[in-house]
This record gives sequence, structure tokens and C-alpha cells, in this order.
Amino acid sequence: MIILERVNKIYHIDQEFTLHVLKKVSLKIRKGEFISIIGPSGSGKSTLMYLVGLLDRPTSGKILVEGKEIETFNDDDLSSLRNEFVGFVFQQFNLINKLTVLENIILPTIYSRKRLDFNPKERALYFLKKFGLEGKETAYPNKISGGQQQRVAIIRALMMKPKLILADEPTGNLDSKTGLEIMKLIAKLNHEEKITVLVVTHDIQVASFAERLIEIKDGKICRDTKVR
Amino acid sequence: MNYLFFVVKNAIEDFKKNKTQTFLTSLGIMIGVFAVVMLMALGLGLKKYINDQFAQLGKNTLFIVPGKIIQGGSFNVAATLQSVKFDNRDLARIRKLRGVEEVAPIYSAQTQVKSSKGSEEGTIIFSNEAFFEINGFKIKIGRFFDQNEVIKRSKVVVLGSKIAEKLFGKPDLAVNQRLSVSRISYTVIGVIEPEGGGGFGGPDYDNYLFAPYTTGYIFNPQKDFSRIALQFDDEKFTLQEIKDSIIREMLKRHNDDSFSLIEPGEILRAVNSIFSILNFVLVAIASISLVVGGIGIMNIMFVTVTEKTREIGIRRAIGARKKDILFQFIVESTLLSLFGGSIGLGLAFLLTLLVQRFIPAYIDIYSVLLALGVSSFVGIIFGVFPAKKAADLSPIEAIRYQ
Repeated sequence: MIILERVNKIYHIDQEFTLHVLKKVSLKIRKGEFISIIGPSGSGKSTLMYLVGLLDRPTSGKILVEGKEIETFNDDDLSSLRNEFVGFVFQQFNLINKLTVLENIILPTIYSRKRLDFNPKERALYFLKKFGLEGKETAYPNKISGGQQQRVAIIRALMMKPKLILADEPTGNLDSKTGLEIMKLIAKLNHEEKITVLVVTHDIQVASFAERLIEIKDGKICRDTKVR
Repeated sequence: MNYLFFVVKNAIEDFKKNKTQTFLTSLGIMIGVFAVVMLMALGLGLKKYINDQFAQLGKNTLFIVPGKIIQGGSFNVAATLQSVKFDNRDLARIRKLRGVEEVAPIYSAQTQVKSSKGSEEGTIIFSNEAFFEINGFKIKIGRFFDQNEVIKRSKVVVLGSKIAEKLFGKPDLAVNQRLSVSRISYTVIGVIEPEGGGGFGGPDYDNYLFAPYTTGYIFNPQKDFSRIALQFDDEKFTLQEIKDSIIREMLKRHNDDSFSLIEPGEILRAVNSIFSILNFVLVAIASISLVVGGIGIMNIMFVTVTEKTREIGIRRAIGARKKDILFQFIVESTLLSLFGGSIGLGLAFLLTLLVQRFIPAYIDIYSVLLALGVSSFVGIIFGVFPAKKAADLSPIEAIRYQ
């Protein structure tokens, strides 16, 4: 589904100092996989995730999404792909606090350019009920618990029926019990909805939910194993 | 949910959360729009007032005044002080001219007027029955004097509404009362409707008294007049034809530079053009505050972009394009500016209502459209740079922004 070929990512901090974050990384993400990327802080795992999530472009190398090279895409195309193809779940939840839970959830549909085959509000309410957040639609994110916020973020990620969910330390700001619940939820989406999942974490317990484990160190993939 | 509705609602939610900042940011535009609309209202009011005053005279009215008032294209103020006066022979000659319908001699005097209730300093105009018609006066109570009373030198007087009030308490009480003008006793026969003159150019007829010119010879032993007002038949004759024949007739007895013909339309055009220029200059000066207000908005919008960097990152991550971010911030700055503009307009409207009691002022639909149009325009123009900055943020850096 997504192929990375010899991808380099170099950040130019200033004229003298450059940071070589990813070094010739090649990776193939197949449809329906549940992958965990683990590694110490600063190893480049988040950068890898953002490249896969089309939030950034590689300095060199190729990224192909469903066979198309993103090099040829302009900013609008990438935005549309992020909107329709990818769903993000972040460590800090990244909900917009001035918008209600419902407004946060339907935000991706507001930015969508394609004709929706569902009613955004109905779909949002369906997920809220399914994820045990019924009655929270008019609440503001900072008025609900961390676990609830993360579930709202997951619903937002699911709104546009994405093929890929990218989660960056999704349990990092949650207690272990809530974190476990969130991971179970993500795993369920992978199993039942056949959505490809890529989780970036340094928590082995979180990583253990995945069927494929990629370890990254100093910008290079040092291990890529099928664990299940 | 509709895209535009969502963006606007978002911006309004933001304003609600930062009420003080929103108010202070739009204050500049508020003051700017207030100043511009207020000046336009005063300008318009003044212009309308002057136009109304002249409209009463009608376009078929002409005045013959002493001296050369307009010389080489400019007003010759000294000319109006010249002592050349007109007399009954001039009146008779003008009256005979073809096309001239009504002629009124005018002589005015400043004098002490006494009633049973009190005494006032007043201006009395000595003229004939045609004067009322030429000036478009309407009677409020009683009647005007007629030709017969002019011929008979009847000591009758018609009062302006204000002087009637001052002398008798109420205009209704004035009729049939006696009045002494420089110790000569007159009978009040009528009071005219308020004319609303005075203050800005134009005579304050409401404070004037009007009596047959034949009774005024006691003030005016030479029996001459300072002005002649006339009305002509503007269906059969053109203004130029009438002017030419009057000039020809007048030149038989007077020098070319000892009299002038004044048509109200000419003065009106001159006054109008002066007011238009004056108003334009004032509004242009006031507009500077709009620019300053716009810069204030731009400044705060830059701060807002920094404050919202993470929000921008989130929006970009879930699929907002650069245009969406650009649009969001331009909508925000435009609404800020429109908000300020609307409040400024509202304040100007209230103040206009208040000052209308004292001086003429009014807000027309163009002022409203201009105020709202200019504030939207300022919002868009000064919102573009901050919005561009927001749209050009790299999504990855924005979302990682702490």
C-alpha cells in the first residue's frame, strides 16, 4: 500500500548544522497490517511516521502511495490524501479546544473535496455511541478525560473512512489501564474494519499489539520482524 | 455543515473567548468608521440644508443686488458693501419687462420691536406682497398683506414664527395684536410657518418681521431698495433671455459694475462644489484612521497566527489545504474589521440622531454601504499577510509546535 525506497530525511537546523534523521530507509507497508515502530527518543521513528502520513516530504528517495509517487503531488493533492487516506492519532490528542467534540469529529469532512456517501453528523453520533461517548457531543475537549479525548481523536481519524491509521505514542498521555483500552480499540479497528495501522511507540507493551515490529535506531531500520 | 458557516462560526467562537482582545483590536476601525461616517453625515446634512433653502426660492427666481459681486470668476466681497441702491423707477421698469411675473423690492432694517409682553431686537424686511410668493413662504396663522395694503401704506406686519413666540408667547396669540416698531404702531396680521433658516448662511426668516415697503419710508427717506427679487415665466422664456433683458434695462440708468444679477441655482452650484471638496478632504483625513486601524488588526492577526500554530498543524494534518487556512484567517480579520465598522457605524448613527436636534446631519444608504464595504476591505487587505504566513507554515513544524 505504501512503499518507501531509500528515503533520507535531513533537517537543516542552520547553515552549519544539519540533522540526518532518516538514512536510506526502505519499507513496505501492506494492506491490513498492524505495525509497531519502536526505538529510543530521537531515533527518527516519528519522522518516519510523518513521512508515511504525508505531512512531510523526504529529502531524497521515493515514497509511493498505492503505486503513485508523492513527488508528483502538489500541496493540495497531499492535503486531500491526508484527508481521505490517512487518519492521525497523536500523543497529545490534538483536538481543537474551542470546538465541541462533535465539531472536532466532523472537521475532516469540512475540509473534504469529495462527495461524501454518509451524513457526517450521523456517522459521528454513531461512533460516539459505539465508543461509549454518548452525550459528550456538545462537550469541549478540555472538559473530558484523557481517555475520552483520545477516543474522540480516534473517531475523528475514522470519519473519512481511512485506509491507514497512524498513531504517534497514542497511550503516552494516558494511565496504563486507559492506554490498554485505547490499544484494544485500535487493534479492534485493524481486525474488524481491516484498516492498516502503524503505531509509533517506545512502550513494549503497546508495541506488542502489533503483528509486525520494526525497530529503528539512529535513523536506520535495524530490525523488522513478524511477531504474530 | 456548510463550509463557510463553519469557518465563520469558528471565528466568532474565538472572538467570544477573547472579548477584550477582540474589542481592542477592532477599536481602530471603530473609530475610523465612526469619524468617516460622522463627517459624511454632517457634510450631507449641511448640503441638504442648503439645497432645501434654495429649493424654496425656485429656479425661476432672480435677484438684482448692488455692486459687481462676481468679478473675474471670484467673489468680490467689497462689492456687497457698495451703497448703490435701486428705487421705484427701477422697480417699475423691471416690472414692465416681458416674462417678468412678480417683482419685490427689498429694504431691511435692524430695529427695536416692542409688544405688550416685551421688547426684542429684530430685523424687519420692507417689501411688497410678491415677496412671500417669491420666497415660497407659507402662512401658519392669519394672512399675508396684500397689494391694497401696500398701496395704502397700511401699518400691518407679518411675523416669523420665532419672533412671534418671543414677542407674544405663542404664535397664535400674535395675530391682531399691536406692535411698535421704532415707536410706530403696527398690527400683526399673520405668522409664517417656521422656515428653519439661520445658523448656516441664509437669513433666519423665523426671526424676521415683514411689512409693506411703503410703510418703511420712515426708516428710508431716500425711498430706495437694497435688493430687488423677481420671478419670471420660465416656460416661455429662458433664464438667459430674462437676464439679458434685465441687464439691458438696468444699464439705461446704472453702470455695468454697480449691479449684479444673482440666480439661486448659480450660488447653489458654487456652494455645493465647495462643500463637496471640503467634505472629501475631511473624509480623506479621517480615512487615515482606518488605515491605522487596519494595521492594528494586522498586528494582532500575526500574534494570533503564532498562538494558533498548533491548531493550524492539526487542521493541516486532517486535510486542510493552504487555501483553507488562508481563508480561515482572512475571514477572521474581515469579521474583526466588520465588527469594528458596524459598532462605529452604530455609534455614528446614535450621535447623528443626537446632533440632529441642533445641526442638520443625516446618514444615507451610501454612507452605510461605504462604511461596511471599507471595513471589509480593510479586513481583507490587512488580513492577507498574516493569513499567508499561517497558510505557509509547514504542517509538520506546526503540529510539533509547543
